[in-house]
Amino acid sequence: MASAAPSPHKPRRKSKKPAASVIKSEALVRTPSFPLAAFLWPARTSLSQWEVLPLILMAVGLFRWAAGLWGYSGFQKPPMYGDYEAQRHWMEVTTQLPISQWYFHDLQWWGLDYPPLTAYHSWLLGKIGALIDPSWFALYTSRGSEDPILKIFMRATVIISEYLIYIPALVIFVRRFSRMSGVAQWTAWVALVAILMQPATILIDHVHFQYNTVMLGFVTASMSSMVAGRYMWAAIFFVAALGFKQMALYYAPAVFSFLLGSCIFPRINAGRFIIIAGVTALSFALLILPLVLGALYDASRGIDSRPDLDGLRPPLPIFTQLESYLDEKAVYYPVVELLVQMVHRVFPFARGLFEDKVANFWCAANVVIKLRHYPTALLQRASLVATLASIAPPNFVLFLRPRKELLPYAFAATAWGFFLFSYQVHEKSALLPLLPMTLLLAGKQGLGKDIRAWVGFANMLGVWTMFPLLQRVDLRVPYAVLTLLWAYLLGLPPTSTSAYFQEGENVWAQWATAVIHGAFYLAMGVWHVAEMFVPPPVDKPDLWVVANVGLGATGFALCYVWCLWKLTVESDILPKRLWPAKMDASKKTQ
Amino acid sequence: MSETYPTITQCAILATAFKILLFPAYKSTDFEVHRNWLAITHSLPLWEWYYEKTSEWTLDYPPFFAYFEWALSQVAKLVDPAMLRIYNLEYDSWQTRYFQRFSVITTELVLIYALQTYVDSTHGVAKKAAQAAALSIFLSPGLLIIDHIHFQYNGCMYGLLIASLILARQKSGLLASGLVFAVLLCMKHIYAYLAPAYVVFLLRTYCLSPKSVLRIQFFNCAKLGAGILAILGAAFGPFAVKGQIPQILSRLFPFSRGLCHAYWAPNVWAMYSFMDRVLIFVAPRLGLPVKEEALNSVTRGLVGDSAFAVLPEITPRICFGLTLLFQVIPLVRLFFKPSWDAFIGAVTLCGYASFLFGWHVHEKAILLVIIPFSLVALKDRRHLSAFRPLAVSGHVSLFPLLFTPAEFPIKTVYTIFWLILFLIVFDRLAPASNRQRLFLFDRFSIIYIGVSIPLILYCSLIHQMVFGKSYEFLPLMFISSYSAIGVVSSWVGYLVVYFFP
Repeated sequence: MASAAPSPHKPRRKSKKPAASVIKSEALVRTPSFPLAAFLWPARTSLSQWEVLPLILMAVGLFRWAAGLWGYSGFQKPPMYGDYEAQRHWMEVTTQLPISQWYFHDLQWWGLDYPPLTAYHSWLLGKIGALIDPSWFALYTSRGSEDPILKIFMRATVIISEYLIYIPALVIFVRRFSRMSGVAQWTAWVALVAILMQPATILIDHVHFQYNTVMLGFVTASMSSMVAGRYMWAAIFFVAALGFKQMALYYAPAVFSFLLGSCIFPRINAGRFIIIAGVTALSFALLILPLVLGALYDASRGIDSRPDLDGLRPPLPIFTQLESYLDEKAVYYPVVELLVQMVHRVFPFARGLFEDKVANFWCAANVVIKLRHYPTALLQRASLVATLASIAPPNFVLFLRPRKELLPYAFAATAWGFFLFSYQVHEKSALLPLLPMTLLLAGKQGLGKDIRAWVGFANMLGVWTMFPLLQRVDLRVPYAVLTLLWAYLLGLPPTSTSAYFQEGENVWAQWATAVIHGAFYLAMGVWHVAEMFVPPPVDKPDLWVVANVGLGATGFALCYVWCLWKLTVESDILPKRLWPAKMDASKKTQ
Repeated sequence: MSETYPTITQCAILATAFKILLFPAYKSTDFEVHRNWLAITHSLPLWEWYYEKTSEWTLDYPPFFAYFEWALSQVAKLVDPAMLRIYNLEYDSWQTRYFQRFSVITTELVLIYALQTYVDSTHGVAKKAAQAAALSIFLSPGLLIIDHIHFQYNGCMYGLLIASLILARQKSGLLASGLVFAVLLCMKHIYAYLAPAYVVFLLRTYCLSPKSVLRIQFFNCAKLGAGILAILGAAFGPFAVKGQIPQILSRLFPFSRGLCHAYWAPNVWAMYSFMDRVLIFVAPRLGLPVKEEALNSVTRGLVGDSAFAVLPEITPRICFGLTLLFQVIPLVRLFFKPSWDAFIGAVTLCGYASFLFGWHVHEKAILLVIIPFSLVALKDRRHLSAFRPLAVSGHVSLFPLLFTPAEFPIKTVYTIFWLILFLIVFDRLAPASNRQRLFLFDRFSIIYIGVSIPLILYCSLIHQMVFGKSYEFLPLMFISSYSAIGVVSSWVGYLVVYFFP
């Protein structure tokens, strides 16, 4: 793909070529094409990774910690507070109560509703925190604590968890993926910084407060293992991701398709299949083992899972048909009860189609058709069908062509499908499709205009749909700073138009991209001005939020289509004669 | 095409984003000091500014800074007029905070401008080094800690200083250089420490003929004299009319303060105090007399109080004499060889002398040394090896200024980041010297830099874990003694380089 015409972007798209030509073509570039490249410019020549990597990690860490000086979700918002209190409360529950009560304890006050790995993580952090100040996690009395030192501790736990899981996974992924795609090391560093400075991730985890990066880190580790061909580890890491946050299910079909596909194509490999299946089952078993042992141990000591209830055991919350086969007096019953409760807490089937306002299909459609007039069962079925329909094409492609360079596209398309059409989506879930999509920056032509424009668009739109969530706790300033900074670093609108119009590519496609993106950026800007200065009409108090949702859902749908389109094109799955224009265009550059 | 990346503007944008994120960082007393000055200058007539004492933070900067505050207050009244009421002590609305923090960022544009002219005025191979030096000043952890977390307006004033130093590079800029420096002196009198170098340099290059010391250039003298008089007149004239000069002077030079500031600045007096503390335990065995009243003195060093238990007392006169002595030594050389490099060197050495031997020196004053030094640190490797211990010790000595846990990671990680980045970059850009290096000095500086890491760890974490709240002076004493060693040795190193170029 490297060619003679010297344009600022040429060296970033290299196919596998000898190192000599890599260096040569890089020397042709005289100016960085966007500010982030300028910041890493001095590192192009002969700096070793042991000098650059620590500096990068320190710099992004500084931005994280500084962002963390701002408020968190639920700060000074009694009576329920917010996500911060939920996480703190789980540390309280897990360190103060026997394991069999974790999923039953006072569910009205931020009852534990994440899978076991989050519970174990909370337990560990709670134990460490109690060494500093036991009152932070004292049962009942610590609720809603606003101790400023506790805030520092909590912020530190997010950063440390991220630096232990997400960041190593990302560094390794970027290295493997960029090498596989024939991208030079310096370019990979630029991509790494771009990924690490993603505004949505920093704002949700380090400002608003959550531990998403732990789950995203396990997913990245899983993808990284797939790239390295270590399928067993890919399965283990993915189970860890699922075990930390059920939201990782958004990726599950893609993981499944890839692993299954790689057992079948190009030739059937039954041994690999058996190993992957076995390891997956074993990892799940390990994941719930502490719960199982804890339930048995507590039962043997006579500790009841629900000490607040007298008399008969309440029936199982779900899977009630099981009860007729089970003996309530049996040794295994507390285990079954705990696991069923855990599943019930983790997957809240009984809730509505969507919560709050989120930029997905259902919430946007609700503006036109009032969905709550329809029976829940029908909506659930519709949601299931729509989700399956949206994730089937990318997974089908990935299954037939289990190629490593397709992973980010397939993961992103699948996650977009879930985000747009599935049940009970949260606005923070946009982080899931954004991660694999942003990882594209480390791949072939990742920093070229096309991918940079689309990845930038998805991220800017994603963080924009989170604005209503952030402004509820007065986080406008960090939102504006981190978002504009990222746009500036990558040369994206509103700071620059450098990511659009590249010579030698299809002119029509470029115009279409530029016009569509331009319209969205313009609309986002207008929306911010309107939201700031124009109060919504009295009869439509949610007007701005609804506008946000509508625009966001449309833009995300475009991102889904783009990921699917790129996946299809890059996989060469379609007969070539269908795409004569594309072939011409790519011949020119290849 | 010859531009080097990243540019100063790019760094300014990145740094501004970071500085805005730091807005909610801890609020120091200097915050209230400057709010009070805004209130004083805005709501009182000129002639009451230096008499107002509702707040304990009275106006104690020279008039131009008061005018500067007055100008800021014109904007402030649009933001939140409540912050401009004198009786509104400790007023702290978010508008006030945003306004004050933002005013620091905006006025720092002066520094950016000055640094850009520095880079633009450098040509050839040295341009890359100039760019690196300029970025190191702009991104200095000193300015970040003091201005953007602790809260002061040093960025703006060091901008003026650098602008003045750069103007002196060209013959045509000498007059302007002197005048800009006079303006700066009327903003913050701490820069008077650097004035001797200016006096000698301008006298030699501007007032006397370059060919002969004996030929006086009367017209130049007249221009410079008239300019300085006009500036002084603009600053102090309105107050002189009402006979307020003695009152202003008593505010500007409060002689009742002690030898060492609350946190010991890392100078020779810190080492002296440290020795004294050690001698308290050793002296009885040696048969030396120990002054009992000094042991219990909490203030340790207000004038008239005996600060030292074993060693002789230090008077302001001694400090003044030593400072002047060590300023004169480099100035003699400057007089006979008045090149621009020698001028910057002399400014640096004047800063060193006043920092090391001055009375009641603030740890913040270390920037007075680091910033001019940065402009010549990349001249060759010998300069750089004298600069290194200063860069480490000067910034580490600022750590006690921020003592809240939330800012701890920022000050340490940022400083370490800056040190690694710029020491690597400087190391590559500094050309080899044509003279033998002081090899022992290099070994020393490597060990010295290495020691800083366990020291920071001890002072910020381990001490608290082992001793809790007791012996709180211990980490402070270690940091200032450690830093004092670095500052003193870099001073000695630089003196050698200065005299044997």
